[in-house]
Amino acid sequence: MVSKAADSAIKLRKSHGQPANDAVGTLSSKIDQLEKQIQAERIVSIKEKLLRNGKKVQCHVSEVVSAISKRDSLHRQEDRISQMLSSRIGHPLFKFNAFSQGSSDKDLINSLDVIFTTSIKMPYVERLPPYTSWIFLDRNQRMAEDQSVVGRRRIYYDQHGSEALICSDSEEELTEPEEDKHEFTDTEDRILWMAFEQYGLTEEVLDTVSESVGGTRQEIQDRYKSLKEKNMGRQDQQSEGSGDYESQIGISLEESLSTALDSFDNLFCRRCMMFDCRLHGCSQPLIYPSEKQPVWLEHEEDRKPCSDQCFLKLKAEKTSSDPRCSHGNKTTTTEEGVLTFAPSCAAEPENHSSATTLVEERCNSMSTTPFPTEVAVCGGLNLNVPVTESLGKRKTIDQSDDDLTLLIDDSQSSCKKQKKITDTDVVTAINENTSNKSILSGSTSHDEHGNVGDGTKDGMAEAEFNEPSNFMNEHVEGMQSLSEWKPLEKELYLKGIEMFGRNSCLITRNLLSGLKTCMEVATYMHAGGASMPYRSNVPPSSLRNDSGKTDAECTDQEMPTRARLIRKRGKTRKFKYSWKSAGHPSIWKRIADGKNQSCKQYTPCGCQSMCGKQCPCLHNGTCCEKYCGCSKSCKNRFRGCHCAKSQCRSRQCPCFAAGRECDPDVCRNCWVSCGDGSLGEPPKRGDGQCGNMRLLLRQQQRILLAKSDVAGWGAFLKNPVNKNDYLGEYTGELISHREADKRGKIYDRANSSFLFDLNDQFVLDAYRKGDKLKFANHSSNPNCYAKVMLVAGDHRVGIFAKEHIEASEELFYDYRYGPDQAPAWARKPESSKRDESAAPQGRAKKHQSH
Amino acid sequence: MSKPIPVALGCEPVVGSLTSLRKRDYKVTNRLQEGKRPLYAVVFNFIDSRYFNVFATVGGNRVTVYQCLEGGVIAVLQSYVDEDKDESFYTVSWACNIDGAPYVVAGGFNGIIRVIDAGSEKIHKSFVGHGDSINEIRTQPLKPSLVVSASKDESVRLWNVHTGICILIFAGAGGHRNEVLSVDFHPSDIYRIASCGMDNTVKIWSMKEFWTYVEKSFTWTDLPSKFPTKYVQFPVFIASVHTNYVDCNRWLGDFILSKSVDNEIVLWEPKVKEQTPGEGVADILQKYPVPECDIWFIKFSCDFHYNAAAIGNREGKIFVWELQSSPPVLVARLSHAQSKSPIRQTAMSYDGSIILSCCEDGTIWRWDVVTNSTT
Repeated sequence: MVSKAADSAIKLRKSHGQPANDAVGTLSSKIDQLEKQIQAERIVSIKEKLLRNGKKVQCHVSEVVSAISKRDSLHRQEDRISQMLSSRIGHPLFKFNAFSQGSSDKDLINSLDVIFTTSIKMPYVERLPPYTSWIFLDRNQRMAEDQSVVGRRRIYYDQHGSEALICSDSEEELTEPEEDKHEFTDTEDRILWMAFEQYGLTEEVLDTVSESVGGTRQEIQDRYKSLKEKNMGRQDQQSEGSGDYESQIGISLEESLSTALDSFDNLFCRRCMMFDCRLHGCSQPLIYPSEKQPVWLEHEEDRKPCSDQCFLKLKAEKTSSDPRCSHGNKTTTTEEGVLTFAPSCAAEPENHSSATTLVEERCNSMSTTPFPTEVAVCGGLNLNVPVTESLGKRKTIDQSDDDLTLLIDDSQSSCKKQKKITDTDVVTAINENTSNKSILSGSTSHDEHGNVGDGTKDGMAEAEFNEPSNFMNEHVEGMQSLSEWKPLEKELYLKGIEMFGRNSCLITRNLLSGLKTCMEVATYMHAGGASMPYRSNVPPSSLRNDSGKTDAECTDQEMPTRARLIRKRGKTRKFKYSWKSAGHPSIWKRIADGKNQSCKQYTPCGCQSMCGKQCPCLHNGTCCEKYCGCSKSCKNRFRGCHCAKSQCRSRQCPCFAAGRECDPDVCRNCWVSCGDGSLGEPPKRGDGQCGNMRLLLRQQQRILLAKSDVAGWGAFLKNPVNKNDYLGEYTGELISHREADKRGKIYDRANSSFLFDLNDQFVLDAYRKGDKLKFANHSSNPNCYAKVMLVAGDHRVGIFAKEHIEASEELFYDYRYGPDQAPAWARKPESSKRDESAAPQGRAKKHQSH
Repeated sequence: MSKPIPVALGCEPVVGSLTSLRKRDYKVTNRLQEGKRPLYAVVFNFIDSRYFNVFATVGGNRVTVYQCLEGGVIAVLQSYVDEDKDESFYTVSWACNIDGAPYVVAGGFNGIIRVIDAGSEKIHKSFVGHGDSINEIRTQPLKPSLVVSASKDESVRLWNVHTGICILIFAGAGGHRNEVLSVDFHPSDIYRIASCGMDNTVKIWSMKEFWTYVEKSFTWTDLPSKFPTKYVQFPVFIASVHTNYVDCNRWLGDFILSKSVDNEIVLWEPKVKEQTPGEGVADILQKYPVPECDIWFIKFSCDFHYNAAAIGNREGKIFVWELQSSPPVLVARLSHAQSKSPIRQTAMSYDGSIILSCCEDGTIWRWDVVTNSTT
C-alpha cells in the first residue's frame, strides 16, 4: 500500500530538484523519511491493535462457548419429548443431494426445487399503520442544531422502482464549505517539530514544511510556537505541580457577581422559570426591567433581632449615645415609605404590578433563600389587609406585590408565615454557628464559610485557610474595616439594597448568610458601603432612584458578560450538489382561520423605560409583553383584559380577540386559585373564572390513539366535549421556515407531514417529537379547529372542538392546505409524478438496474 | 473507489489486496431453488450445539429450516408460511427461551416480529409494535432470549422472546434519522449494541442505565403491554465512517466492521470520549475490498470464531476475508458460472467449512471447503 502522502512527498522532492539549497534538499528527504517512518509505525500499530483485539475476540468466543455448554447441560437432563426440531433431524421432510442425479460435470449444478408439501401456517396478524418512532413532548421545543437537515445529504430510494435517489434541492447547498482552518495531527506535529528543531525557522524550511504538511505558513508558524509552549509548559508543570487549584472549583469570593452568576444566567430560562429550557434555549439575552420593584418595608419597632449579631442589638446599646450613627433614623424613612407607598398603590395599581421585576426577583430568590416567603408575609402585614376580605381587595394585594399572583393565597400566606419562622430559625442558627465558630479554631470556621460559599473545600490543607479565617475573626471584632469586603460580597450587598432596602437583617439572611453577620452589614451600610451615601431624611422616591442607579451599574457590568455568551456554532459539513430542486410544494398544515395572517414571533425588548422607534417589538409589529425591559406604562404594551364575568371566552375580551390567552400577571380579573376553599378562598373553578387560560393551565382532554377510520392513525376523544372546548395542544419541534422547506420535501416522499405553520419565524414539526394530536386527520368537514394562541409570549397551537363531540369519536381538523398542497390522499388519487425532477443517483440501490 | 474524506498522514488504513494468496478452496456442493421470490437472509444456529449444522432462510412470506448433512446434502426440516401473502421477510435469527427451546425469529415488510418455536413447530409469539418494516434481527449470544430489531421506523428495539416484552426502544433525540438497516450485540459487553442505517451513521448505544428493565423483563408476569418500556434517546457514540447507506455492521471484539455501498468492508475502532458522550472519533484501521458490491442490503457474515467473513456481491461472487490478520488476507474468491444473481446474505458455518449464500433469484448455494487441497 502506497499512500498519497508518500507520493506527494516524492513529487515534492522533484519540484525541489535543483539543489538550490542543500539544507532544504536534505530536509525534504528527511521529511520523506519521517513520513515513511510514520506510515511504517502506523502499520505496526494496527497490527498490534488487531493482535490485542484478537485476544479479546477469543475471550468473547470462549465466553459464548461456555454459555452454550451450560445451556446444553441444562437440556441434556431434560426430556426431549416435544423436541420437534431434533426429531426432524431424524426424519427430515426432504433431502437434497445435488449429485444424486449423477451429473458428471463438476461445474454444472442442477437446481433442485424445494417443494413445500407440509408448511406450518403462521396465523394472520394485522400490521400496524406505518409510523416513525416519535417521542412525546408536553411542550414545544426548539430544534437542536444537530437536527437540521439543511445542507445535509439525504439519499432516497423509490420503493417501486427500487432506485436510490438523492434529494438535493436548494441553491444554498452549492455554497462552498467555509474554508477550514488546518488542524494539525500528531504526525504533522512531529514533522513540523523535527524540521524546525533541526533546520531552524527559515523561509525555505517553512515552505517545504507547508508543502508537505499543508496549511499556510502562518498557521505552521503559529503551530510551532504553540508546540514549543506546550513542551515548555509540560516541563514547567512537572516542576511546579498543580498551582492555582482553588479558583477552579466553586464560586470564588473574588469574582464579580456577574461571573458568579454566569452559568445561572446562561442556563436559567427567566420565562419558563426552569434550567435548560428547550424552548427558549440557553444563553438568552438578559433583559433587565427598567422599573424596579419597590422595596418592601417593615416597621423597625416590629422587628426582632435576627441573630446574636443583629444590628438591633448593637443599636440598643448605642441609641442613647449617638442616634445618628445608628440605624435609628431608618425608622423614619421606613415609615415615610409606607405612607407614600400605600396611596400611590391604590391610585395607580398598575404601576406597581411590576411583573417584569418579578422575573428577576424570582431568580434571585432561587439563588438565595426563599424570597417569595417574605413578600407574601409583607402583603399581609404591611398593607394591613385582613386576609379574609373581599375579592376586590385581594386583587389589590395581587397587584401591589405582584409576585406570586399565582401563589398568593390566604392559606398559603399563613403557611408561609410559619415557614418564614422556621426559615428564620435556621438562618439564625447558621449565623450563630458562624459567630461561634469564628471564635473557635480557624479551620472550622472556614469550613462553614466554605460550605455556604462553594462547598468543595474538603480535602484542602488546613494551613491554607488560616489566613482567611483570621480574616473573619477580624471581621467580628473590628467591623469598621471595610476593606475586607470581597467583590462578590459587595455586589451581593448592593443587590440586597435593591431588593430589601436598607434592611441589614434581610440582606444578611437572604444574600450574605454565612458570609457576613447582620452587624457587619449594618456597619458597612453605615460607613456608606460601596459609595452609597448615607441619607437620613431623604424621601423614599430618591431611595428608589438610588437603587435604580446601582442597577445601572450592574447592567453595565453585565454587558461584557452578555457579549461573552455568544454560542459557539457547531460545524456542519456541507456537501455539494448539482441537482435541481424537486420543486413541488410541501404539505403544511395551516392555521384554521385560514386568513393567512402570519403571527409575529415575540422577542422581548430591552428598552429602558419607554419604547421608542428603536424598540425591536415596535419594529417587529408585536406588542411589548411582561418579559420586556420597558416600563409597564409603555404604550406598546398589551394591557390585558378587565373582563368581569364574561370568562373571556368571546371576542369581547381583548385578549381573546387578539388570539391570546389571558395572563394572570397582566389581566385584572383573570386569576387562578389553588386552594380547596376551606380557608375561605374562592373555589378553584367557579363561574367567575377566566376561561381563556386553558393552554397555560393545561386543561386538556384525554386523547386516545388508534387506527383511523379514514387513513393510517387517528386521534380519538375519550370523553364527550362541548363546542369550543379545548382538547389539547399540538406540540412539536420549532423549526425555521428554511428548515421546514427542506423537511417538507423529505416528508412528502414519505407522504406524511406533521408540519404546522406557527408564525413568521417558526414552523412546528411533530414528525419525531410531538403528542397524540399529531395523528388527527384532515377533513374538509372537521369537528375540531386549530388555533394559534399567544401564551405568555409564546405562540402555541391549541386544538378546540368545533361542535359537540361524543366520547370516542375520531378527531379531524382542516389542515388548510394551500392551493395544490394537499397530499395525495386528501386529493384525488393520481400517479406519482413527484419524482420526475429528482435525478436518479447510481450509487445506492437495493436492486440491480437492468 | 472515491475517498471523499482525505486521510491524514499517520491515520491511513491498511487495505487488503485482492491478489493475495488463496488459502482455502471451496467448491459448490449443492444448489436449491426456493420459490421465485428473493431470499434476503440465511443464518446458521450458533446458540445450540445440537443444531450447529441447522440453518434458516427467509424469503417472501416463508421461513424455512434446513440442515447441512455430509456430502453436500441439505435436508429440509421445517417450513413455515405467513398467511399474509404480502408479507416479505427480510431477516431471521436464532434465539431460545430460558429453558433452551430453539426459536426462529423473523421479521420483514409488515413490521411484525414472528417468534417461531422450532421445538414445537408452533408460532410462539408475534410482536406488534414497530411502525414499519424490520430490516434486521440479532440475538444476544450470552443471553439468547434477548433479540434486537432494526426497523424502518428509525428505531431499534430490544425484546425478550421468552416473555414477549419490548424492553427498550433506542430512538429519539439522538437516534437514527432514517431507516435502521443493521444492528449487532457486542460480543461480551452485554450492555452495548451498534446500529447503522440510511442516515449514513453507525451509532453505539449503551443500556447499562436501563439494565434493571432487562432483568425485570424476565420475571414479568403481567401483560407485556403493561411493561414500562423505556426510550434510550442518546447513543454513546456516533460515527460517520461512511458517506452513504450503511447496511451491515458487526462487532469484532471492541472494533466494528461495517459496510456501505463503496465496495468494501471497513474495520474501525470507536474511540469514545467518556466525558462527552456522543462525541468521539472513529479510527479506520483496515479495509477489505469487495468488488461489485455497490448496491445496498448486502450483508456479510462471520464464522463463530470471527476468523473470517464472507460476503456476496451484485454478480453472485463471494469473497472470504481473513478478518484478524494485518494486512487482511483474501482467503477465497468463490464464483460459479451459474451464480449471477445478487447475493443478499451469506452464512458461514461454525468452523467456516461451509458457506451458504442466498440470492435475489431465490436460490441457496452451498459451498464446502476442499480439504484435500495441497496448501
